[in-house]
Amino acid sequence: MHHTFNIDGKTHALWLSRSSGGYRLELAEGWSGPVALVENHKGDVRLMVDGCDEPVVYVVDGDLVHVHLGGHSHTVRYIDPLVELSGVADSAGYNIARAPMPGVVLSVRVSVGEQVAAGTVVAIIESMKLETSIRASQDGIVEKIHVRDGESFDRDAALITLSQEGS
Amino acid sequence: MIGPFPLGVVLVANRGEIAVRIIRTLQKLGLQSAVVYHEVDAQSPAVALADHAIRISGRTPVSSYLDGDQIIAAALSVAAGAIHPGYGFLSENAVFARAVEAAGLIFVGPSADVIELMGDKIRARNFVARNGFPVAPSAIEEDDPDTFLDRARAVGAPLLVKPSAGGGGKGMRIVCDLAGLDDAVTQARGEGQRYFGDGRLYAERFVERPRHIEVQVLGDSFGNVVHLFERECSVQRRFQKIIEETPSPALSDDVRKKICEAAAGIARAAGYRNAGTVEFIYGRGEFYFLEMNTRLQVEHPVTEMTTGLDLVAEQLGVSAGRPLPFGQDDVQSSGHAIEARLYAEAPARDFAPTTGKVLALEYPQGDGVRVDSGIAQGQAITSAFDPMLAKIVVHGATRSEAIARACRAIDNLVLLGCETNAAFLRRILGDEGFEAGEVHTGYLDEHPDIARGAALDENVERQLLALAALLTRPVRDAADAVPALHASLGNWRN
Repeated sequence: MHHTFNIDGKTHALWLSRSSGGYRLELAEGWSGPVALVENHKGDVRLMVDGCDEPVVYVVDGDLVHVHLGGHSHTVRYIDPLVELSGVADSAGYNIARAPMPGVVLSVRVSVGEQVAAGTVVAIIESMKLETSIRASQDGIVEKIHVRDGESFDRDAALITLSQEGS
Repeated sequence: MIGPFPLGVVLVANRGEIAVRIIRTLQKLGLQSAVVYHEVDAQSPAVALADHAIRISGRTPVSSYLDGDQIIAAALSVAAGAIHPGYGFLSENAVFARAVEAAGLIFVGPSADVIELMGDKIRARNFVARNGFPVAPSAIEEDDPDTFLDRARAVGAPLLVKPSAGGGGKGMRIVCDLAGLDDAVTQARGEGQRYFGDGRLYAERFVERPRHIEVQVLGDSFGNVVHLFERECSVQRRFQKIIEETPSPALSDDVRKKICEAAAGIARAAGYRNAGTVEFIYGRGEFYFLEMNTRLQVEHPVTEMTTGLDLVAEQLGVSAGRPLPFGQDDVQSSGHAIEARLYAEAPARDFAPTTGKVLALEYPQGDGVRVDSGIAQGQAITSAFDPMLAKIVVHGATRSEAIARACRAIDNLVLLGCETNAAFLRRILGDEGFEAGEVHTGYLDEHPDIARGAALDENVERQLLALAALLTRPVRDAADAVPALHASLGNWRN
């Protein structure tokens, strides 16, 4: 099973494995080599890929990794298989909006029985000091609200269940 | 050094980088500072820096900073003696300037009458022409609305049709073929009505491959006016400046002298007091008056870098009723300065504004580098205001040294958590046309590849994926679950 990441809208599949000295990266597009992240005593971090190294500054923010490298800033998104799956209606015809990361509910924006369109903000959560909008992945009716304002939750917790329109 | 100012507390009626920049000068001069802020700016550096911070509110964040009554009340509540409006918001609002004075406070800017004169493009243009300074051949609708189209045709193509009350490029239309004049007039009038509530138009000769040259002026209450040389701001997208520099690589010494003297002459004729900027359009050796901005300009730091002056200190000095402490011959420009505006926007997506939170922030340092910033780590970047985050300003002995420094400064700028135009700025600075000093205001539109940028290099892609893989928990966990010996046998779990 591969892991999926996204850079500038382009999807990449990869696999990371242990090797004698550290880690080895394998890209589905056809490349593999040793990779490592080395921090010196001053806190400066260098990224080593296939023997070449370069200083990096990064921040991990939920599924996002923000990186400054070679004079440019980039953002890489990890596509969590659970979140990916939760975006697809399950066999019972339900669609569950799940937490992409642990956090606190700031406000639930819908009520049970409400008809929502795909993209509607159903709840606002705060995680890692960041406010994130949770949106309905498809049209549907709010079947169940699993959380209350101010409630904290874990990653992948069910927040809102939508029943599919017409089902 | 100058003695204490008879201004008391000075209230800054602005936000972001310019509020910080003004407060720093107030501190340097030993004056107490106050700033008004909307809730969304509560965590901003200006609020942290000021001696007094007074919260204001409104229907939207922007509307609070436009609420003159609330701001004057805030100033009175801290016994302020003066209000500095910065740029934008109320800085060129004559009604506000009058209200400030009626409340017994000093407005750090020119008189309300001069703001009014220069705020009306048609009146300003007529004033400049009447005083013998160059304006572009044009047709003004209100001179005789019935013959406007005929007079516009007589000026000839290419024409620029603009709302009289306009600014910021809103409602402007370029007419290359006079057959399209009627449509352009209808559209420009509609936009003028929508944006400014004023449908009056004027049409003027459009200078092809025009360059935007402006001259900084400074006047006191005793009729003394000096110019502080020019700035070139031709690197623009949709009429918004992105990179500014001084001296302009477009001007010969002879033209420079003429344009700077014309600017000072216009300011003198208007009885101009305080800092102001006279903007010109320049092409093929000719320059025409465009407009005068009666306030501090976003790009004023490049002038400060080459002249060594502090424009905010000079503004406060003349506002306090002092004469300018120097004459024209004392003003010298040395070296070359460039400013690049860091915006929260995505050039590749048609300059759409971006939002986020400042998760990591490191500004470049070093000789000849100045950063005017209004953001701090942890601060949310919202779309409530103008997307400008900071200005990267550099100075070098020569233009090429300044460009090299600007490139290095942008390479060393780290802002994570919100997409910015940094890579775009870097591409402009490295562009052949920019290096050759051949950029005109339509240059970026003619070269859309600069905004788009190149696809990511394969090696960089690998580096990014390697870093993300090493930092992503499930990826790391999956790797650690398989001992190295087994891993070396291959991906057998599948």
